[in-house]
Order: sequence, then structure tokens, then C-alpha cells
Amino acid sequence: MSEDVIFQPLDWPNLKVKNRIFRSSISGRFDNEDGGVTQTRINWENKFARGGVGAIISSYVPVLMEGRIIAGYATIHDDRLIEDWGKLAEAVHLHDCRYIMQLSHSGRQMDIPGVYNQQRPALSSTSNKESLHGFLCKAMTARDIDTTIRAFAQGARRAREAGIDGVELHASHGYLITQFLSSGINDRKDAYGGSLQNRARFLLDIIGAIRAEVGDGYHLQVKLSGIDHNNVIPWEGKGNTLDEGIEVAKWCEAAGADAIHASIGSLFPHPLMPPGGFDFETIASTYDAMISSGVDTLRNYLLFRYPLLRPIFKWIWFRMKKHYPVEGVAAEVAHAFKRNVKIPVICTGGFQDAALVRRLINDGWLDGVTITRALVANNDLPQQWRAGRDNPDRPCTFCNKCLLNAPKNPMGCYELERFGGDWDRMVQELMSIYETKPDLQIPDRAAA
Amino acid sequence: MQADNFVTAVQRHSARSRWRRTAILIVVAIIFLIGFVALILGGVALARFSDSSTPHYENIVEHFKYGSIGSEPESGLPYWLWQALPKLYPEEFKGRDDYKAFGFLYEEDEDGSQRDLPIGVSQRRVSGVDLVWLNCAVCHTGTVRMTEDEAPTIIPAMPSNNLDLMRFIEVVLDAGPDPRLAPDNLFPILDDMGAELDWIDRLVWRLIVMPQVREGMLDQRAKLGELLEAQSDWGPGRVDTFNPYKLLEFGKDFDDLDDDEIHGAADFPSIYYQGPRDGMQLHWDGNNPSLQERNLSAAIGAGVTEETVDHESIERVADWLLDLKPPANPNSEDPEVLTAGRDIYMDRCVACHGYRGDDGGYVFAGETLGKVTPIGEIATDPGRLNSYTEELSVLQRRLFEDDPDYAFENFRKTGGYANMPLDGLWLRAPYLHNGAVPTLHDLLMPEADRPGAFVRGLDLFDVEQGGFVAPGCTPGESVEAGFCYDTDAPGNSNAGHLYGTDLSAEQKSALLAYLKTF
Repeated sequence: MSEDVIFQPLDWPNLKVKNRIFRSSISGRFDNEDGGVTQTRINWENKFARGGVGAIISSYVPVLMEGRIIAGYATIHDDRLIEDWGKLAEAVHLHDCRYIMQLSHSGRQMDIPGVYNQQRPALSSTSNKESLHGFLCKAMTARDIDTTIRAFAQGARRAREAGIDGVELHASHGYLITQFLSSGINDRKDAYGGSLQNRARFLLDIIGAIRAEVGDGYHLQVKLSGIDHNNVIPWEGKGNTLDEGIEVAKWCEAAGADAIHASIGSLFPHPLMPPGGFDFETIASTYDAMISSGVDTLRNYLLFRYPLLRPIFKWIWFRMKKHYPVEGVAAEVAHAFKRNVKIPVICTGGFQDAALVRRLINDGWLDGVTITRALVANNDLPQQWRAGRDNPDRPCTFCNKCLLNAPKNPMGCYELERFGGDWDRMVQELMSIYETKPDLQIPDRAAA
Repeated sequence: MQADNFVTAVQRHSARSRWRRTAILIVVAIIFLIGFVALILGGVALARFSDSSTPHYENIVEHFKYGSIGSEPESGLPYWLWQALPKLYPEEFKGRDDYKAFGFLYEEDEDGSQRDLPIGVSQRRVSGVDLVWLNCAVCHTGTVRMTEDEAPTIIPAMPSNNLDLMRFIEVVLDAGPDPRLAPDNLFPILDDMGAELDWIDRLVWRLIVMPQVREGMLDQRAKLGELLEAQSDWGPGRVDTFNPYKLLEFGKDFDDLDDDEIHGAADFPSIYYQGPRDGMQLHWDGNNPSLQERNLSAAIGAGVTEETVDHESIERVADWLLDLKPPANPNSEDPEVLTAGRDIYMDRCVACHGYRGDDGGYVFAGETLGKVTPIGEIATDPGRLNSYTEELSVLQRRLFEDDPDYAFENFRKTGGYANMPLDGLWLRAPYLHNGAVPTLHDLLMPEADRPGAFVRGLDLFDVEQGGFVAPGCTPGESVEAGFCYDTDAPGNSNAGHLYGTDLSAEQKSALLAYLKTF
């Protein structure tokens, strides 16, 4: 067994992981319009399992069709989807890699609603439009809340039935659960609004419902923003403080969560999450796919499209980044959680340097790290670390072009300089997940 | 789900709020339109009415004659109004299109046509409007002719012997309430003159320029009217420096003035060769030894204020005058007579008035040169002395209080008249401070033999008597040219300064010959 702490296994009550490296959630428009998993997704996830991560946290997986961020992401809203998710889990398990499904609901943060959702405002804690893009929404009724809580529980059940190793509740980055948690968003007057305890009620009810559905022996972790920094648009409220985040983490632990996944920010993307650059040329070429989604999207497109207007958005976006590092941007949040809860804490946000990860684990700031962009750039990052290269030869530049391409293009690395400026090589890499075609069927052959 | 024609919820939301957005758009468009129009108008106004400048004359003599000292912003008339006044009031301007009727002097430009503005009138654009008013040269440039037939020679820095400033002021101020100055009457005249006022100019002239000008005229008329009415006519070549000063600059009322101080008119002085005069008691009554303060005070008399004064321009003129010597006297006299006259002069006059050196230049030397001789001794008309009061000296010392470089500190009330250097004496007739004695010859006569009334305002050099030809006249009767000066009028007395009147006819003749060489 390696002496490197990064490759020491995690032996949690409901989950055992071979090392401390988790692939954090990331998606792409790989899946079927009805929420079904495709071969492409299996290929995508398999790349990371093959690369050596200990566990994969799935893409954002809606528990209801009306909770999708982007049409084309796989869901877990129906039992008929269990079998295909099971195949994905099976593929990952072949590499001694655990698979954790991130149970999610977009709430009002619905980037591309698709034909299923485009005719109705999204459900949220509030009826106030989303702050960055102007996505419309309507405050959930008690019945909506109850339905959604039960959907999360059913999602967990389906995940377990699919052979998936655990679930994660996405309670950060501005999605539905954050929309209840954040004082900068939640303006409810009922039992789910007002005090922190009331705002946390939705999350804690979901944890309770899941535990009631799947019992205590199934891994359940919560991805939680320690600080909201909700005032990206300057006139918005600041949202929850770190003290409030810690309090929520403690309540999650008490409610039955097995681990906390530390993050930061109450919308996504957020200047601090994912940390790094913001390439205007890229966003100007992809954001047009979102113009019809919100009432402020055309404004944003103009800000992205025209260089004379870009300084306005630059000021809005980059003013918050001061005093925060790119690598380990949420490490202090994880450390704060770690000091206040007994359950394990993992952390996301710009990890690529093994030395930093090693130090944070050794110093007791966190138990493991979750990585996305550095693994998209180098699927075999764990193997490189194990080989003693703390930083890869062609590192991720944290340019965020992968994220900014998401509304329109396949998920992957778009940093051309990592491909020596060879566009064709970059596209070839993007297409690699499509190379192995699923078994194509001829629909009417059996009847013929 | 509700069925309608909208593909997305965003479209439905947009359709529902369309009326609100349309209303907002209309309001924004109106605001934008108003802002745009305001911006355009503001830009035009800024371009037109923010320009403040004055012509710069590289040549110092041109600057002296036409350069601005800062009198225009507070005291001036719009250029086009200045040009229109002769057409509006032909009876006052003797039917001419210029200001020669008041003794203003005109030069010709390069193509031989008369310049549009006379000597002593400068131009300055203030908030986009061209204004004109007076500078130093208006009172300190005169003319001389050696024969009747020759054209007048213009000589800068000699006293103006032509300018009838009082009549000019009266005509301008009387125009204030006159209906002929109404814009509707004025604009056609300006059009005929080629003023090319467009509708914006006309609007500005109608709403701002003319109301302000007329208000200024009426205000000054109200302040000066009673004084001018009460005073003897100044006549050409004379000005009451300090009484208008009290009323205009310090807000005194005419009723505040004592009877004995209101007749303060005196001759314009020459302003040659100021360097050696620094420290002497300057002004006719010697009320200030500082050249700078005397110059600045004179500029205020010409219409500048503490706010509008152009110090740089005034200092350019002042520096030039420090060394400017008067033109050479063209007289030639019998050397023997001159010697005799010089002996008498050196015996009787030199202590107070300096002398002419062997090289013909004036020598600033004399025990009491530039000092004040008490009124009891000099015994000339006390009007000018009385016009400068103790109270006025106190008020003057408050001018430019906030500016240590220009604060008035040296004005003092005196008890007589200063003994003047005599350089350029041949161009300074009539003589005495009030110009009550037409020639040097007459000055050597006892009071009873000096002319009781004579014509002044002429520029033909009197070779025999020293001064300008000044025929006798009868006060109240018109004269062919010039102005009939009545020595019996208040402030006009030809009494006093009886030095040399006791000499014999031969001695006087010798002394006169010598004096005519100054």
C-alpha cells in the first residue's frame, strides 16, 4: 500500500474508497431527451474510473424532469431508468471505483429548459427571478415541496437499486436546496422561510425522507456551500455566512448525513466556483443557446459579445475573486466544517497540485478532494500523482472554457494551448467518448 | 398545462409585461430624446457661448492702442451694438458712421480703409459675445498738426486732446431707455451692417444680451446722471476721474458728495517715460507714488473691475511706458534767446520742474520735482484736489484686498498739486491740471490777462505761443470746431501758478522760447 496519504483508502461506515481522489460532478449533453443514460455517458464516466480516481460523483442528476438544468442530462425520475444507471455503475466498478449519484433539482437555475420545461416557470423557494440570467420561477407550494422531497427519496432508492454506491444531495451552487437555504434568495413566510432553521428545513426533510426510504446503511453525503457570496449582482443580498453554513453542516450530520462535501457560492457558475478565468470569446460563441431561457439573457449576451461592454461584466465577476486562491478556493470552508462535524469532509475547488492536497489532508483540513477540470484535462491525474508528478505536464489552466462551452458543445477540454494549438487534436479528444457506439437497433426488425 | 401560442414561459412573461415595457421604452425614448436635444443645444451653446478670448497684438504699440485691459465684460457694449449706435442716433454722431464726433481717433488698415474700431477701443469675446470698450489709449493718445493743411499725426501716450468723454458717456447712457434700442428696431440695422445673426443669436440677443446691456446702461445712468448734470462740461481732453469712481465702484450716492468735490474734471495727462516717475507723487494731486497702483486705478476708471482686470495686459503697457520718451520737439529757437531763457528757467523753475539737458533730453532733477505744492501756494483751481477725498482714499485701499500682489496701499489725500516733470511739454496743452490756460505764453501772464474763454480740442501746433491754437470764444455760442472752454465755470478757473508772471516782456519771451523746446 502506498504511503502517500492521497492514496490511503477511506473506510467510511457506508462507503469504502481506494484513495482520496473523487471526481466531482460534471455533466455534458450526452443523454437522451427523456432522461435516459446513453453509452456516451458511460464512456465519459469510465474515462475517469480508468484514470484511477477512487470515486466518481455523477453528473447533476435531477430527481424530477422539472428539475433539469439542461435538457440532455440524465435523470433518475423514473424506475425505468434504473437498469441503465446500473450499467454505468457496473462499468465504473470494473476499475475499483465507487459511484455516487448527485441527486439534484435545478429550481429556478434552469439554463436550458428544453421542451419538457420551457412552457412553465421553474419551481423555487421564491417567485423572484434568478439574479444572473433572469430565469423565471414560481414559489413552490407545500404540496410542491412534499412532492419534491419524496422525489429525492425515490431518487435515492433508485440509485441504490441500480447498484450505485451512494448519493449526494446537491445543496450548494444555487440549485433548489440552496434556494431554500440562502437568506439572499429565500423570501418565504412559511415554515420553509425566515430563520436559518426554517430555511434548512427543506434539506433536512429530504435527508430524513431518504433515510426513511433507504435506511441508515446507504451512503448519503451533502454538498454544501459554506458561504453564499450571493451578491454577484451587486444589489442582491449577500446570503448565508460561514457561521450559518457550519450550523447547517452540523444539522446535516445530526439528520443522518455520512459526509459533507464543502464548496462555496450560491449560484453557478459563480466567480469563486469554479475558480479561474472567464473567456469572453468562448461565452460569446455559446451563450446564444441560452438567450431564450431568461429575461436578462439578452443583456448578458450583449455584455459578453461586445468588447466595449465587457469591462462592466469583468468588474461584476472579478471583484469577488480578490483574496481567494484558485487552487483550494474552498479549503478554508472545508477546514471550518471539519472542526465542527465528526463526519468526513471532502472539498472541491481547483485542486491539481498533489502537494497541496497532501498537505491539506495531513493537516486535517479535509479527508479527500473532489476534482473536475484537472481530471477533464488529464483523466489519468491520479496515476501521474502516484508516479510522483505532483503537477501534470499539460496541466489544466483553469480557463473554464469547458464550462463555458457546456450550453452548446460536448463536454471536454477546450484549452487549445494544451493541444499545442492543434484544433483538430482537441476536437478528436472531445469526440473520443463517442468512438465506441452503443448497440444500434433496427426498430421494426422483430415485427417484420 | 395552459395552451397558448407561446413556445416558452419567457415569451409569455414578456408578452404579459409588454405594455409595461412599451411604456418604459416610451418614457426612456422621451427622456433620451429630451436629453439628446438638450445635448445638442448644450453643445451648440457651449461652442457658441463659452468662447472667451481677446485678440493678441504682438506689436506693443498696437497692443496699447487696441489691446484689451479687461474693461469689456462689466462695462462694455456688444461689438455690433457699438457699430449700430451711430445709425440709431445720427444726430449725436453728426451723421457719421463712426465715433469721430466724440473725438475718437481712427487709423487706416492695410488696404487704406478706416479700421472698424477707433484707437482706445478694444474687443473681447465674453461668453461667445464680442464686446468692446475702452483701454488706456483712449485717454492717452492725441494728434498734432504742424500746419493747417497737413493730416493729423497720431501720437500714442500724449494726452488725448480730442476725446470728449463726457459727451460720449452721456449719449451712450441716454440710449438705455430709448425705444430705438429695442431688438425689433435694432436687428434690421444689424442685418444691414452684415452682422449675420441667426435665430439662436437673435434669441440670445433678445433674451439676454440686450436686456443686460440696457439694464447696465440704466443702472449707470441712474448713478451718474445727477453728477454729470451738475458738473461743468468737461470738454475734449478732460475727465473727472474720481467722482464717477465713487458712484460706480463704491456705490456712493450723488447726494453723499459735498458741493466742493463735484467739480473734479482735469486734463488727461501724458504718460511718457514712467520709469523715472516711480516714487514721485503721481496724479495731478500727487495722491499715490506707486506706478502700479496708479496704473490699476486708471484702468478701473476705464471700466475694468477686480474680477475682470487683465493684469498681464496692463503690465505689458506699463513696461513699455517705463522707457518711452516723447517725440522730439520740432521747434527751433535762436540759441542766444534760448540761453537767456534757460538762465531764467534755471533760476525760477528748475526746482519744481527739472530741466532740459544739453543733449535735448529731459532731466528728472529738482528739489521739489514730483512733490506736492500746497494749494495755498499754487493757488490753482481746487476742484480737482477737492474731488479726491480722505474717504475715497480709505475706500481705494480696500480694493484688491484679497490679492497681495495688487492691493492698494499708497493712496493718500494730499493738500495741493504735484509739480510735474515737463518732458513732452509741447504736446500737453492746454496747461495747468485743468487745462485752463491754452498756451505757455498765456501761462506766463497774470490771471487777468489769461484768456477767459478759448477753444480747446484743436490740434494745430501754435508755434508762437507754445501749445495748440486756441482762438477766443464766447461761452454759450457755438464754435466752428472744438469746444468753448469757460474759465468762469466751476472747476475751470485759470487762476494760480503765477510763477514768471512778474518777468519783463523780454524775459518772458526768452523763457517761453526755452519752454517751447521741452
